[in-house]
Amino acid sequence: MGPPLGPSQWGSRLGAPPPLPAVCGGAACEPGLPVGMAAIAATAGRLLRLRAAGAEGQWCRLRGAGLQAASAAGDAAQRRHVAHFTFQPDPEPQEYGQTQKMNLFQAITSALDNSLAKDPTAVIFGEDVAFGGVFRCTVGLRDKYGKDRVFNTPLCEQGIVGFGIGIAVTGATAIAEIQFADYIFPAFDQIVNEAAKYRYRSGDLFNCGSLTIRAPWGCVGHGALYHSQSPEAFFAHCPGIKVVVPRSPFQAKGLLLSCIEDRNPCIFFEPKILYRAAVEQVPVEPYNIPLSQAEVIQEGSDVTLVAWGTQVHVIREVASMAQEKLGVSCEVIDLRTILPWDVDTVCKSVIKTGRLLISHEAPLTGGFASEISSTVQEECFLNLEAPISRVCGYDTPFPHIFEPFYIPDKWKCYDALRKMINY
Amino acid sequence: MRKMLAAVSRVLSGVSQKPASRVLVASRNFANDATFEIKKCDLHRLEEGPPVTTVLTREDGLRYYRMMQTVRRMELKADQLYKQKIIRGFCHLCDGQEACCVGLEAGINPTDHLITAYRAHGFTFTRGLSVREILAELTGRRGGCAKGKGGSMHMYAKNFYGGNGIVGAQVPLGAGIALACKYNGKDEVCLTLYGDGAANQGQIFEAYNMAALWKLPCIFICENNRYGMGTSVERAAASTDYYKRGDFIPGLRVDGMDILCVREATRFAAAYCRSGKGPILMELQTYRYHGHSMSDPGVSYRTREEIQEVRSKSDPIMLLKDRMVNSNLASVEELKGRKLLTPVAGERREEGGLKQREPSTVLNASQALVSRAQDRPDAPR
Repeated sequence: MGPPLGPSQWGSRLGAPPPLPAVCGGAACEPGLPVGMAAIAATAGRLLRLRAAGAEGQWCRLRGAGLQAASAAGDAAQRRHVAHFTFQPDPEPQEYGQTQKMNLFQAITSALDNSLAKDPTAVIFGEDVAFGGVFRCTVGLRDKYGKDRVFNTPLCEQGIVGFGIGIAVTGATAIAEIQFADYIFPAFDQIVNEAAKYRYRSGDLFNCGSLTIRAPWGCVGHGALYHSQSPEAFFAHCPGIKVVVPRSPFQAKGLLLSCIEDRNPCIFFEPKILYRAAVEQVPVEPYNIPLSQAEVIQEGSDVTLVAWGTQVHVIREVASMAQEKLGVSCEVIDLRTILPWDVDTVCKSVIKTGRLLISHEAPLTGGFASEISSTVQEECFLNLEAPISRVCGYDTPFPHIFEPFYIPDKWKCYDALRKMINY
Repeated sequence: MRKMLAAVSRVLSGVSQKPASRVLVASRNFANDATFEIKKCDLHRLEEGPPVTTVLTREDGLRYYRMMQTVRRMELKADQLYKQKIIRGFCHLCDGQEACCVGLEAGINPTDHLITAYRAHGFTFTRGLSVREILAELTGRRGGCAKGKGGSMHMYAKNFYGGNGIVGAQVPLGAGIALACKYNGKDEVCLTLYGDGAANQGQIFEAYNMAALWKLPCIFICENNRYGMGTSVERAAASTDYYKRGDFIPGLRVDGMDILCVREATRFAAAYCRSGKGPILMELQTYRYHGHSMSDPGVSYRTREEIQEVRSKSDPIMLLKDRMVNSNLASVEELKGRKLLTPVAGERREEGGLKQREPSTVLNASQALVSRAQDRPDAPR
C-alpha cells in the first residue's frame, strides 16, 4: 500500500503522466512488477506444479526456493503477489504521429479526452468518475470539459445503463462507466433487452448506437469473487451489441475510440490488472483500430493460440516456452472483439496449423472458448490434428485465496499444448 | 479499614487480572442500574416512537462496553494486519459504528436473523463468532468462519446471513428471510441492513414493496455513515431522509452513535414487527473513522477535522463510558481494566489465528493442477 494521497495529488492534466501511487476508493491494483519478477514467478510456478503432491508443506518450500528476493518476514501469505503474466509491450507505432509513454488507464483517459474534444455531444458518467474514477481513467476530464459533460451518478447500475440508453437514443454520445464488470449484472436487462434490441424493434427508427459502456474486467491478484470476473460470455450471447477487450494501452485507445464511434451499443472491458502494469508508447492523437478484427501477433505453423485481454500475454509466454522447449512454432492471436468475432482469421490459422488452444480466465462451461471451439470444428473439422483445447478458469466462483490455483496460468496452457502436440 | 481494603484490592485486582475478585469488589460500590434519557427519534408514519428514557443495568453496560471495545480493537488490529499484507483483498472496517452492531444485537434475540452488506466484521462478532474465527477468516485460514474462502466480505454465522459484496443485493434476501420467519410462525424478525449508498439501488424499493404488501416481519435498517465510498449523501441522494424512503413503510431516524438509543429503537421496531403490523424502517445515523476500505485513506472527501470532531464528541464507546462512570455504574479504572483485557486477548487470538494452516483444499486444488487443465474438480471441500 502506498502512502495516502491528498486531493491535490490526483487529477494532473493530461500531458505529464502522473506518478503511480495507491488508488482511492474500491480495489487497489497492484503496482506493475519489474520484469525480474518473471523469473521468480517462473520458479514459483514450477515449484507449484512439481510439489503439488506435498501441498501442505508447499508454501514453506515456495518461500525457500524462489523468493529470497522478497522480504525475510517469513510468512507465506505475503509472497502471493507475483503476477501470473509479464506484460509485453508492442513496438512503438510509427504511423499515428507523436507518441507518449502511457499505461492503460492513461491511454483510456487519452481516448476519452480525444472523444470529448471531437464530439461536443459526448458525456461521461458513472460512479465516482468526476474525481477521476477509482482507476483514474477519467482524471482531469471534468476540469477540462465541465461538470455537465463528466458527472457522477448515484449507486445504481441499472439506472446508469438505462439512462445511457436514453441519452444515446436522442443522438448524443453516452460513455457510461460501470465501476467493476462484476457489478454489471443489475444492468443486464437494460443491455440485453433494451440496448441490444432498440434498432431492431423500432425498425431502425431509433437506435442507441452511440452508447458505450466501459468496465474494469478480469483478475487482479486479490479481487476475490466480486472484483475479478470476466463476464464477456454472458454478453456474447446477445445479438445487437459489441463486446471488446484490449490487451494493451495502444490497443485500448484505438479500440475504445472505435467503440465510441461505432453505431452500435458497445461494451468495452478493460483488464484492470493492466491499468498500471502495462506501459507502452501510445499516440497522442486519436486513431482507430477496427472492431471485429483479430490480430495475429506472432506467426507460427504448428499450433494456434487464441486469447484476449491479459491472457494474451500469458499465451505469448507459452508460445516462447513451446519454441524453446519443444521446438513448436505457435501462432498467437489476440481476438480483440468478442462479439462479433473474427471467424476468418482464426479459421485460416487453424487450417494452417491444425491445432487450436483457446484460453480465458472466465469459467470453462459456457465460456467464450466454447463458441470458438464449436465454430472452428464446424469450419475446419478435417484440418484438425487434435481436439481443440480450452484452458480456462474452473467452474467455481472466482476464489479469494485460491486465485493462483484458479487462473489458467502458463503452466496449465503449456501442459495442454504439450498434450495436443503429442495427441 | 474497609475502605483501605477496598482500595488495596482494587489496585491489586487491576494488576492480577482476576475478573471474579474485581467484580466482587466492584459490586459493593456501584449502582445496579441507572436511568438515562435518550434522544427522541424522528418518526415517519408513526404516532409513537421508542421511549425517551431507558434503564441500563450495570451488567448490560459492562457487556456492551466490552463488546464495543472488542469490535474496536479487532478492527484496528485488522487495519494493522492489512498494512502488513497478512490480510489481503478487501477489508472494510466499521470502527466508529460499534454502537450499531452492539445496539442492534441488544435489541433482538439470538434466534432473530440479520443480514448486512460488506462492512460486516462487527456484526459477525455480535452474532456470536469469536474474534479468532473472524481474524482467521480475514487472513484466509481454515479456522475462519467461511473456511478462509470468503475473506472480509463473506462472513457467516448462525442466523447471520453475511457478508454480501454486491451493494443492495442483500435487501431482497432479507425480505425473503422475513417471509420465512412469518411462515415458520416462531415470532422471529429479520434485520436487513444496507448503507446510504445502497439506498439508491432499485432492488431495495422492490423489497420494500414486497415486504409491505405481504406484511413481512422485516426491519429495514439504513446504516447512514454519511458517505457512500467517497460520495457524500447530499451528492448521491435526492432525499437524504433515509428513514422516509420506504414511503408507505413507517420509519424512524435513530442516533446511531448512542448504543442505548439504538437498543431502544431496535426493541421498538422488533415489537412492531412481531405484532404483525408489517415492515418498519430504521435509519441509524452513524460514522466510520476509516475510509471506505483499506485502499481509501478516507480524507480526500472529508476533512480530518470532521473525523476528529466525531471522535471527540460522539464516539460510541466514549459516550457509554461517560454515562456509566457518571452514574456510578462502573469506575474508570474498571473500564480501563476491561479495556486492557480485550486487546491482549485479541492479539493472542490473532497469533493463534495466524498459526493455523491455509485451507486444506490447497491439496485438492494443486492436485487438480497436475491433471488435465480441463478437469472440472468438485466444488472445493
